[in-house]
Amino acid sequence: MESNIEVTGLRKRFGAVTALDGMTFTVAAGKITGFVGPNGAGKSTTMRVILGLDAADEGRVLIGGQPYRALRRPLRHVGALLDAAALQPSRTGRDHLLWLAHSQGLTAKRVDAVAGQVGLGAAARRRAGGYSLGMRQRLGIAAALLGEPRVLLLDEPFNGLDPDGIVWIRDLLASLAADGRAVLVSSHLMSELQGVADHLVVAGRGRVVADASVADLIAAASGDRVLLRTAARPEAMTVLAEAGATVAVTGRDTLTVAGLAAERVVALLTAHAVPFAEVAGHRATLEEAYMELTRDAVEFRADGAR
Amino acid sequence: MKLELHAEWTKLRTLAGTCWALAAIAVLTVAFGAAAGAATTCASARCNHDAVKLALTGVQVSQAAVAVLAVLAITGEYGTGMIRATFTAMPRRSAVLAAKAAVLAGLTLVAAVVGVLGSVLAARLILPGRGFTPEHGYPLLSLADGPVLRAAAGSALYLTLIALLCLGVATAVRDSAAAVGVVLGLLYLFPILIRAISDPGWQRLLVRISPMNAGLAIQATTNLDLQPIGPWAGLGVLTAWAVAALACGGLLLRLRDA
Repeated sequence: MESNIEVTGLRKRFGAVTALDGMTFTVAAGKITGFVGPNGAGKSTTMRVILGLDAADEGRVLIGGQPYRALRRPLRHVGALLDAAALQPSRTGRDHLLWLAHSQGLTAKRVDAVAGQVGLGAAARRRAGGYSLGMRQRLGIAAALLGEPRVLLLDEPFNGLDPDGIVWIRDLLASLAADGRAVLVSSHLMSELQGVADHLVVAGRGRVVADASVADLIAAASGDRVLLRTAARPEAMTVLAEAGATVAVTGRDTLTVAGLAAERVVALLTAHAVPFAEVAGHRATLEEAYMELTRDAVEFRADGAR
Repeated sequence: MKLELHAEWTKLRTLAGTCWALAAIAVLTVAFGAAAGAATTCASARCNHDAVKLALTGVQVSQAAVAVLAVLAITGEYGTGMIRATFTAMPRRSAVLAAKAAVLAGLTLVAAVVGVLGSVLAARLILPGRGFTPEHGYPLLSLADGPVLRAAAGSALYLTLIALLCLGVATAVRDSAAAVGVVLGLLYLFPILIRAISDPGWQRLLVRISPMNAGLAIQATTNLDLQPIGPWAGLGVLTAWAVAALACGGLLLRLRDA
């Protein structure tokens, strides 16, 4: 089967609250797609709908062209980490993996292999109730990897991990995507996904606010603006405006130029012998791009200001 | 269905509480049956006790352990959120419930058979010393005797059906405490009402529809014509309760978000 996820027009209400309001996006194979947005943006609800746990009022989700509930032995197609703490504490980590394995027709051999892969080691035979958050997260990842799925869904996998654990998950995700798997990783912190995600789906108020590659998002937020420092401000403004740029004064000797590339600005100023001290491309961080996109979508801030 | 059965079997088998609950079912059945026997005397030929029912009294206590085991089999997953892992791995929810019911029923039946056999054995040892002798009209209890076998086998089935009833209720209710409350209410409220009401017509009706009173009619071996409901008809009433509870739980399981 194809390894991708197609989410189309999901709508869902919980009483008076609209959780999903036309959520639509695609998760492609061979890439890590980051699923970001403030708390309450509908990320977890979307993941539950993808997995057939919650029913959407409208819209549909296809995994490799099939609805989740139609999958036979679904963990062999889709691996999911929703809430790593959702375990019965008296069962050992290994036994938790064992019942999951049995539900997919897999054996204890696969359980031991995957427990080793995530570094659970001897802890696998201890009761899961005594696990640290990091250990539970590893157990949850093991459960997601159990059926060697082509599609992975991880809800906030970095939560509660120490720096070693974060590096481990980043490397693991990269290797999974390199194998051609479709990987969807949600997070409410953009910084966690910087350097991890290839593609971003930004959610806000139950719908997609932005759906673009990380490079495009940063370019869009940067807005092709060029920062110019010059003592000859009026001359520079005339030259650049004649070339079609929009120029704004941002300080005593600084200008922000939009609509021209930095190289072109330098060429124009040099040709007209206008002196300048500095020309720099303004480059937004992923965090800035995200803040810009989700400004209207943050519910808590608006509520808190009342 | 085979995969669901295997998974649910592994799940229940690897839960620490299961072993204890099963042991409690067997031990409580025997212990309270023996205690009831030891506390009763038959002084004459007309002492009017049902020795078989007396020997199987423990079932009324051990059903509480059955209820706890059955309720926790599903609410233990809702309480921790593990139910989502279950339905992610096995999206056919009715099949999951059916598999849970089968595994639970099997284990309960084994524990119940052990408890019932122990109770009959204890009665053989204790009752003759309490005046339940052939002279007073009480031959030694034997499973070769038709009504005794029916009462004993029926008691094991009774506990199994109670497990299914409780699983169905717990699936609908989802919360451990609430489910145990509903289940114990369902079982013990009817007997209390029956005792509180003086009108014999209402009493008979309540006995006929009460899961516990009707179900326990399977234990009666004397004065059968005076009972409000026959032994197998009574177990049929309990079966109807169990089927209705499971159907209701299964329907809600399909309709609700996990």
